[in-house]
Amino acid sequence: MDETVAEFFKRTILKIPMAEMMTILKAWDFLSENQLQTVNFRQRKESLVQDLVLLCEKKRASLNDAAILDIVYTQFHRHQKVWDVFRMSREPGEDIDLFDMEQFKRSFKKILQRALKNVTISFRDAEENAVWIRIAWGSQYRKPNQYRPVYVVYYSQTPYAFTSSSQLRSNIPLLGQALTIASKHHQIMKMDLRSRYLDSLKAIVFKQYNQTFETHNSTTPLHERSLGLDINMDSRIIHENRIEKERVQRVTQETFGYYPQPRLEFAQYKLETKFKSDLNGGILAEREEPLRCLIKFSSPHLLEALKALAPAGIADAPLSPLLTCIPNKGMNYFKIRDK
Amino acid sequence: TAGTLVRGLSVLAHLERLETRMHRSRKKLEEPQTVQAEESALVTEIQKLRRLRDKLRAEVKRRQAGVKASTANVEPDQTWEITEQEVLERKWENLKAVLQAYRFTGLSGKLTSRGVCVCISTAFEGNLLDSYFMDLIVQKPLRIHRHSVPVFIPLEELSAKYLETNIQHFLFTLCEYLNAYSGRKYQADRLQSDFAAFLAGPLQRNSLCNLLSFTYKVEPRGQSFPLCARLLYKDLTRTLPTDVTVTYQGMDALSTSWEEQRASQENLFRTKPLHHVFTSFARKGEMLDMSLVS
Repeated sequence: MDETVAEFFKRTILKIPMAEMMTILKAWDFLSENQLQTVNFRQRKESLVQDLVLLCEKKRASLNDAAILDIVYTQFHRHQKVWDVFRMSREPGEDIDLFDMEQFKRSFKKILQRALKNVTISFRDAEENAVWIRIAWGSQYRKPNQYRPVYVVYYSQTPYAFTSSSQLRSNIPLLGQALTIASKHHQIMKMDLRSRYLDSLKAIVFKQYNQTFETHNSTTPLHERSLGLDINMDSRIIHENRIEKERVQRVTQETFGYYPQPRLEFAQYKLETKFKSDLNGGILAEREEPLRCLIKFSSPHLLEALKALAPAGIADAPLSPLLTCIPNKGMNYFKIRDK
Repeated sequence: TAGTLVRGLSVLAHLERLETRMHRSRKKLEEPQTVQAEESALVTEIQKLRRLRDKLRAEVKRRQAGVKASTANVEPDQTWEITEQEVLERKWENLKAVLQAYRFTGLSGKLTSRGVCVCISTAFEGNLLDSYFMDLIVQKPLRIHRHSVPVFIPLEELSAKYLETNIQHFLFTLCEYLNAYSGRKYQADRLQSDFAAFLAGPLQRNSLCNLLSFTYKVEPRGQSFPLCARLLYKDLTRTLPTDVTVTYQGMDALSTSWEEQRASQENLFRTKPLHHVFTSFARKGEMLDMSLVS
């Protein structure tokens, strides 16, 4: 086995936490059950990694096999990457999309390899007719850098693709082109949506996050859940503003629904607006140029935090539509200018 | 030894009993009033319970008589009254059941505060499959607030064309698309789960299940040559393919008999649902087995 490939195997396996080693190796499905049983998983990690690399060498594992292992690792640790969302479009009135996965992969590979001599492209099929693509970029004179790959997740016959953010931005247009042509679209644009939580991004753009519907069959999903107005609470506690509290609760439920919110870590607003003031005069009010400022809301779970604002008394209900439109519009980056 | 221990214990137990008895009798002597008060309270309690028991017994007797009377076709006025409320409740339960059963027509709905929630229940060959929902807001313009239609179904196109102008056409067309998708998906799932033995490799499919590609054998364990099939469903409202290509794997020129076989295979896939084709392969195999045995 090539030295660089062996090193790549070593570093990839080393990344895997001991607790997940067996699960990930099984998901990789390159080393058989019998082969895995010959390895002592209780030894120190460095020795274990050595044994596993030897096994891979014996089985003539290729660079592509290592790349697939890297994909499996990333699938288990998708939150370690930040994901961007791209939306593709095609001219209306086009033929029916007869998506052939093998054709897509061939086409994608051909386009990238035609433009870049040195590039490693690997595919792994996933559930729901999706594919994970791993791309290691090289250049005219340099071999691909296996340690800074880009991942793309594409669900067949949809206009959306999810890519892991990469510092090597120069290759993004080429990647977009390959995706667009291989999936038989005409245009691609980057959405103003970014998060670590790939599954939440998918829920947002596929509109899968609000899936409780009223039917005659279901037990009504509209049962009230009180956000702090507990009837069984101590009778010595009285709510002075019960009516207002109930209004706030109702408005919050109407805006955010009864479903768990998709998970985002931030929302960013870039303002370029003229300063508006009630007071006549003042230095800022006389400025002709717009004020530039950036407001960023961060949270381990932004939408749940926003949902809790009004009931907690921190903000008025209803919240600003700039905050509540996030999942609906599929945006968490906003640019606000004067009309 | 164990024997003396047991005897010792019983002696101790006996002493304990004597002690408690003494305490009790002393207590009785000390507080005669409380004892009396307790007694009288208990007596009144007993009287109360007796009265309640008699009342309940009378009620039970009354109801039993009522049931007997109604089953013997006696005048209902006398002993058995079906209250208006009970009639209404039964009607309501009936209506609810009918509304729930509407699901089986494939297209049903429930009024909401802002419009209607439409439910499209798909089916294929008598099997009830997935249901899809749409929350419509009845305003000018009529719009879809949210839905559970998969993203690869051309809902936006259809709604742009027909939602405002001809809602009936919109709903029926959407039903067609969703039922056909469900049917195609059902066939592909059946092939993968029930006839895996006939496949010589994974079934290639896509989200819409409108392109299926697979390599198969007519006999799972037999000596027959593998065939490659490619099914295209260009009409998204249909569950049968529009284009079928079957080739013998790795063979270009075929003798007449082989060519006939190949063409007949193509025809099978074009005219019968996918899993039925494989069922017929399985049955042929069974018949062959049986003929070999006999």
